Amino acid sequence: MIRASKAAAVGIILGVTMLLPMVGHTDDKDVVDYRQHIMKSLEHQTAVLGQILSGAGPAENTLAHMETLALTASVALKSFEAKVPGGAAKPEVWKDWADFSKRMKEFAEKSAEMAKVGREQGVDQAAMLVIEALPCKGCHDVYRDEKKI
Amino acid sequence: MFSEGNVLNRTTALPRLAWAGIAFVGTLLPISSFADDQDVRDYRSHIMKTMGEQFAALNQISKGKVPAADVATQAEVLRITAGVAKVAFTPKVLGGEAKPEVWDKWDDFSKRLDELVAAATDVSKAAKQGGVAAVTPKLSSLSCKGCHDVYRVQKK
Ligand code: HEC
Ligand code: HEC
Repeated sequence: MIRASKAAAVGIILGVTMLLPMVGHTDDKDVVDYRQHIMKSLEHQTAVLGQILSGAGPAENTLAHMETLALTASVALKSFEAKVPGGAAKPEVWKDWADFSKRMKEFAEKSAEMAKVGREQGVDQAAMLVIEALPCKGCHDVYRDEKKI
Repeated sequence: MFSEGNVLNRTTALPRLAWAGIAFVGTLLPISSFADDQDVRDYRSHIMKTMGEQFAALNQISKGKVPAADVATQAEVLRITAGVAKVAFTPKVLGGEAKPEVWDKWDDFSKRLDELVAAATDVSKAAKQGGVAAVTPKLSSLSCKGCHDVYRVQKK
């Protein structure tokens, strides 16, 4: 906390527009761990939804998994805002931030849409949106170093 | 509940119906529809691992290491996931890290899952209303370890 407020103070003194809200970020390992927890949670949530949609999981949980995917997607972008290279993230995440963040926003929007359709029209309708709502591979192909996974 | 007939039904009809967008859930197959035993083990493992990641994320947040603003979202994901755990353990399929006691003492195990849901609901509510400060003292109420000590095979 102290370090965070100091950083903010320095930012104000220098007149630097703080691009990234750094509140609470203490060290680099935490930042990498946190975004990886989010990604791994997404992985397990996607796996169970995939099981269900291929007839190998409990259908009554479909909406629950869509809801958690949308929620988790909604915090994914923020976890990359601190520019901390490491893990399997390629430097391009921050070099091409406009594109990366656009993809994350789309991920959040489309998964939210999937969950909303699931709630309002039923999960059979929402199932049609799954592929678009989960653009995991498209992003990994560009921004994740597969050798480091 | 997981009869052979259901298995056939599930493996053949469900995927095509699902992708064709025909209403199927709750009508055709009101109950769980795992295709085989390994699906059951995989499913409950993913559910627990999701909770593991969510719990770790909440711990980081509560230590002030990552954005406090995420606390309500992360807690809500944990709450929802806890809520589906019972379905994951209902089929009696031994294996993975689950001890046979899960089903031998189902009343106790299932009561603990209910308690987990209640605690996770409480944490999620606290997160929405009081933020990190309200969540931190409640994290231990999730009693993950209490159940694992009894029902999960301890990996060496
Ligand atoms: C807009 C880009 C983007 C999207 C969308 C995205 N990811 Fe990722 N993912 C990344 C990046 C970058 C990393 C590397 C993070 C690191 O190691 O620091 C990553 C890492 C991962 C990892 C490895 C985590 C680890 O600890 O090594 C998994 C698993 C993963 N993502 C799953 C998913 C799933 C499942 C989805 C879709 C539901 C998804 N991701 C969507 C960019 C994305
Ligand atoms: C009511 C009992 C119970 C509660 C409560 C519980 N678990 Fe579990 N957990 C289990 C059992 C049983 C297994 C072994 C499942 C298997 O392998 O089939 C397990 C396995 C796990 C695993 C390992 C999964 C794998 O396949 O490697 C993780 C991670 C985990 N739990 C996290 C948590 C977290 C985090 C919480 C609390 C938020 C929690 N659990 C609460 C019973 C419980």
